[in-house]
Amino acid sequence: MSTAALTNPYSELVKRYFANPVHAGQLPDEYNNAVVGEAAESATGARVILYAVVDRDTVRMLRYQVYGCPHLIAAAEAFCDEAEGQPVATLLELDVPGLMGKLTIPVEKTGRVLLLEDAAKALHIKLTGTIHTED
Amino acid sequence: MLSNSAEPVYLDYAATTPVDPQVAEAMSEYLTVGGTFANPASIHAAGRQSAAAVERAREQLADLLSASPHELIWTSGATESVNLGIIGAARFRSDRGKHLITMPTEHKAVTDTFRALEREGFEVTYLMPDTNGLLALDEFEAAIRDDTQLVSVMHVNNETGIIQNIQRIGECCRQRDILLHVDAAQSVGKLPTDLSLLPVDLLSLTAHKFYGPKGIGALYMADRPGCHVLPLFHGGGQERGLRPGTLPVHQIVGLGAAASLARSRQVEDLVHLQGLEARLWSGIGNIPGILRNGSETKSFPGILSVSIEGIEGESLMLALEPLCVGSGSACNSRNSESSTVLRALGRDDALAQSAVRFSFGRDTTNDEIDLAIGCYADAINHLRAISPQHTRTA
Repeated sequence: MSTAALTNPYSELVKRYFANPVHAGQLPDEYNNAVVGEAAESATGARVILYAVVDRDTVRMLRYQVYGCPHLIAAAEAFCDEAEGQPVATLLELDVPGLMGKLTIPVEKTGRVLLLEDAAKALHIKLTGTIHTED
Repeated sequence: MLSNSAEPVYLDYAATTPVDPQVAEAMSEYLTVGGTFANPASIHAAGRQSAAAVERAREQLADLLSASPHELIWTSGATESVNLGIIGAARFRSDRGKHLITMPTEHKAVTDTFRALEREGFEVTYLMPDTNGLLALDEFEAAIRDDTQLVSVMHVNNETGIIQNIQRIGECCRQRDILLHVDAAQSVGKLPTDLSLLPVDLLSLTAHKFYGPKGIGALYMADRPGCHVLPLFHGGGQERGLRPGTLPVHQIVGLGAAASLARSRQVEDLVHLQGLEARLWSGIGNIPGILRNGSETKSFPGILSVSIEGIEGESLMLALEPLCVGSGSACNSRNSESSTVLRALGRDDALAQSAVRFSFGRDTTNDEIDLAIGCYADAINHLRAISPQHTRTA
């Protein structure tokens, strides 16, 4: 672990996403057609759930719930922020190294971000099998 | 949304305390030209002045502990005292037997020292605490063997504040001519410690836990037959050859001043801590899922450890900013492994990792406690809004 990581393990962007997780939580009850993708890690107990509402081929709403470290929460927030409004295929395009670089996530937390990638893939599989729409 | 803009609020007095201004002032006279900076081992007048200051501090510490000054050996802190006391005594008595007893819930300074002795051929029994974190005396007595030579049990646990029954443990040891070492880093200067009454043979302490400087501590070694340590360092002959090395006069003077101050303020400080602990627990104790780690009645009031269901520990620590609190033991808080102490109390890994140790001191105010209550409640609400462990339908 670097000296910088020891003295301040969280970048300003991680702290900002962590403090303002606007995409956190389940979707409101009226979106009962939301599709869910989930991934968990038994060793640490970390867990990510993604909830999506899709209109035709576009991710209209994307929310998450996370039990995990600040880096994972920030990564989920950043991912939802970027993927909302994008084609469903975007869910498969999570750039793990790019996201880690953007948020300055230490390499030892790679497994946590891969958990987010797994949840996104699980969500994509469900969506491409049964694409739900708001109407 | 969390607000992280406020100034830090220090509630980590179990990790270290600030140096009391009176202590700092006393120390400042022993550093520079015009002050008493000479080497106390020197036989000239300036050296003798330094030596006198060292012995005055030894008397101040002896007064705090109701010990004799010649029973105190200066060290660099509690870790060194623990090493000298445990390794030194085990080696000294190794011709009588090589069995030792301790608990896995001791500070790593103790458990790692015992691990080192195991590599030297000693045999160590690690006794788990009962569900209250206490050493079960019947199990302890059953673990004692004919070749048992040394027992080490801490007075106040650094993570939970649990107070062990040193009197009873010491009586068991005395009846069998076994040495008892006590890690008293968290209790000296805060709880009454009368070594003229307690059956303790070796006791480790450090100044920075009771408003003295970092880098200075002491080992108490009772003046009684069979109680002795072999030195770990060699050269110089200071401290009767048991801990050689030039004595840091300003540090020692600081420890002495802190000991004097602690002695005069002990009751007042303890009442203050009891009030702070009660205020904090009344503010957070009703949060759903919160668990107190340790006993309400047998714990040191300067430490309150809590765990909480469904909250991840690392995120909790960030959400708690600007509070400066402990996450398990301060010494291993960068380690993601959950606390041995809390797991011994029956907490699972998730609960152990969610533990927060609030610890207070002389300078902690009610306003700071109220701020801590608000911060903790906000942090829990924030993380539960994110966590799948607390969904709307749960």
